[in-house]
Amino acid sequence: MVKIEYLTPASPEERKRYYREEWNIKQVPEYIIHSIQEREFGFDHVGRGPNDRYKVFRTPDLLKRFLKVRTPFAAYCSVAFYDKPRRRDRWTKAELVFDVDAKDIPVRTCECEGVCEICLNEAREIVLGIIDTLKADLGLKNIHVVYSGRGYHIRVLDNDVMSVNSDVRSQIVKYLVGADVPENEYSLDFEKVSYEHFVIPFGYPNVFTKRVKYAILHLTENSELDEVNKKLLKDVLKHRQLIELDNWGMFKNKIGPQRYRKVIKGIASINMSLVDAKVSIDLKRILRLPSSLHSMVSMKCTEVKNIETFDPFDDAVPKFVYERK
Amino acid sequence: MIIMVSVAFINPLSDEGKMIVRELGEFDGVLSENDDLMSIVTESRSQEISDDSFIPRSYFDLALKRIEWYAKKKNDRNFDHKQYDFLFNPDINKFDVIAFFLLCQAIGVKYGPNSRESRVLVESQGKLIENRLGKLSKIERNVLVTNILNSLLSSAHIKWTFFEDLISSKKLKLHELILDSGEIILDKDDFLERFSHKIQGRKPEKMYEALIGDRIKELVMIKMVMQNTENYILQVGERSNREIEPNPILLELADKISDVLLASVQTFGQGSGGYGGSVKASALNPKAFPPCVKKVMEGMKSGGRNDAIIMFLTPFISYARLYPAVFSENITKQISDVDPTLAIIQNEILPLIFGAAERCSPPLFEDQPQDKVNLNAKLGFGMHQNPELKNEGETTWYTPMSCEKVKIHLPSLCKPDETCKKIGNPLSYYNRKIWVVKKESKAESAAEEDKKD
Repeated sequence: MVKIEYLTPASPEERKRYYREEWNIKQVPEYIIHSIQEREFGFDHVGRGPNDRYKVFRTPDLLKRFLKVRTPFAAYCSVAFYDKPRRRDRWTKAELVFDVDAKDIPVRTCECEGVCEICLNEAREIVLGIIDTLKADLGLKNIHVVYSGRGYHIRVLDNDVMSVNSDVRSQIVKYLVGADVPENEYSLDFEKVSYEHFVIPFGYPNVFTKRVKYAILHLTENSELDEVNKKLLKDVLKHRQLIELDNWGMFKNKIGPQRYRKVIKGIASINMSLVDAKVSIDLKRILRLPSSLHSMVSMKCTEVKNIETFDPFDDAVPKFVYERK
Repeated sequence: MIIMVSVAFINPLSDEGKMIVRELGEFDGVLSENDDLMSIVTESRSQEISDDSFIPRSYFDLALKRIEWYAKKKNDRNFDHKQYDFLFNPDINKFDVIAFFLLCQAIGVKYGPNSRESRVLVESQGKLIENRLGKLSKIERNVLVTNILNSLLSSAHIKWTFFEDLISSKKLKLHELILDSGEIILDKDDFLERFSHKIQGRKPEKMYEALIGDRIKELVMIKMVMQNTENYILQVGERSNREIEPNPILLELADKISDVLLASVQTFGQGSGGYGGSVKASALNPKAFPPCVKKVMEGMKSGGRNDAIIMFLTPFISYARLYPAVFSENITKQISDVDPTLAIIQNEILPLIFGAAERCSPPLFEDQPQDKVNLNAKLGFGMHQNPELKNEGETTWYTPMSCEKVKIHLPSLCKPDETCKKIGNPLSYYNRKIWVVKKESKAESAAEEDKKD
């Protein structure tokens, strides 16, 4: 396995080698190849962001020729489908996407400056949780995962959600990440009953419980949560093995009910940063083209076949990196 | 089971409701005094009849009373429900349905579905249904809601995407629903079949009643009627664009609706009564800024710097200073409408925004001077370095981001305090808080004066 210190920016010569010797059009996922004429492509040739946009390729062969000849710093493709992609005109639909960037995860046990093996693995855990909810709660099936170079893109192509607008997408994001504390008091005929989120094993309360569990198990003594002081954080860390065993009631008792509410409120608030919501609500976003080179870190943006076993340091490192040693 | 209350009393867009409208035929009679209507009103159990103005005399009057009820209930601290008891008398059903259609058509023709008038009608319909259901017995209420829901939903298995419009307009929140495999769970047997084996130490039936039961069914039903009302107003608006001459009665009603809303805001203030009178432009008071704005004013240390200054702070500061009543008045303006020489923009607004940009790390405009053009564009002066009157209108003066959008675009900014719970936009926070801050400073100066004395 390659070490993270080898993942420095790729030189122009390395980019050329990558696209001419290693890259293959067959590595571009079928869901992009099939709709190639309906998508906008964008390129960054010098490393200052994608400024060569509104590109269209009528066939995969033309895309292949462009990449082999131009060997760009970065290549992107729209999540949107257009009748006239060259002008980004007549938008028809867009994939529903979630961007989990390892460096932006709100609670990370590694606390590294950029990205490392630990936070990339934590990003993968978050992705697994989101996929689980997409399938189990929202009933979505056509889900693809792409390793982006510094995290993961989840791309959903079910027709049911491709046409929904930004407002619906933003509610989906909030549901998936657990950004709202669920109700805990419910009215019955002549009484009020109280169900904490962790006693409801289905629906949104169940999703929220999973996200809170993830966050509590990944907090460090340097973590910052709104209205959670150092003493409370210390107590959470002290008793969190109870959460690991799903003994929520005991955990709540140890912390105290009011302080428990503060903790889960703080977690709900930071959960919004589990994914970059701007990417999800943008109906005309361009995302890194799977199979292209992330030149800043010399990794391949790779379609992930099996997220359970995927290891970016085995599966997304171009050959030229190994030869740097 | 005999249902005493007509479905149309809750859902005027039902087949029964449409039948009532068809029976009425032409518009001609909507302005004339209607004895039947007046006797139903006066015979309503708790109806206040001491003043003639409490009693609607025609379909036209009744339509306005419907709107007036909602506007007063929302804004008037001395609201007297006895003046509007007739609205909850099921006998008024036939007249109520026609009044509802008159309102939809008047608003559709004159203002369209995105107007304040449309929003008020849709919200008032939701509140009327809630209040009307509240007066029924539990069994009656349950049967009525189930009947209406069955007519609105095409199958027992409803995908959540069926409610796309409701979710989009935030009438329903995704997290308020119980979802499983893409379906919304409403039916008790369906719930028990899917979840009872997972529930430990609690009765699944009781959990169903608490989490879904009548509450969610009613919520879904009410929100669907509200959405259908909005859709109907949209349809009317589209149809009226194709017709040359709208009925003058509808135009007159539309004007009157606007008057009722304006009177209500002028007399009682907008919203839930947090401050009195309409909000006028005046010098900014940073003490009344919401926490998110204060945070940006201190300068952003990391991520989201550009969005925070350009997309978030610039519209907030400019509207708070020049046009704080934008959401209650709902009129699109340009900066020069309120600052004709651009003196306030140059001397007050830009220095504040530039100061915040300067405090960013690294300072925004030193790092990315080209972003000044974006700032200028958000003020409505096109893609230029500086605001000049000749370029105004090339772009739109961006309205301040809602709290919902702040949470999505700049989640690190949202650290809500108590006042935040009552508002949906940082500008509304400012408008609300400015009265409190003024009151506090008056009290402080009075205390200071006392000390001097």
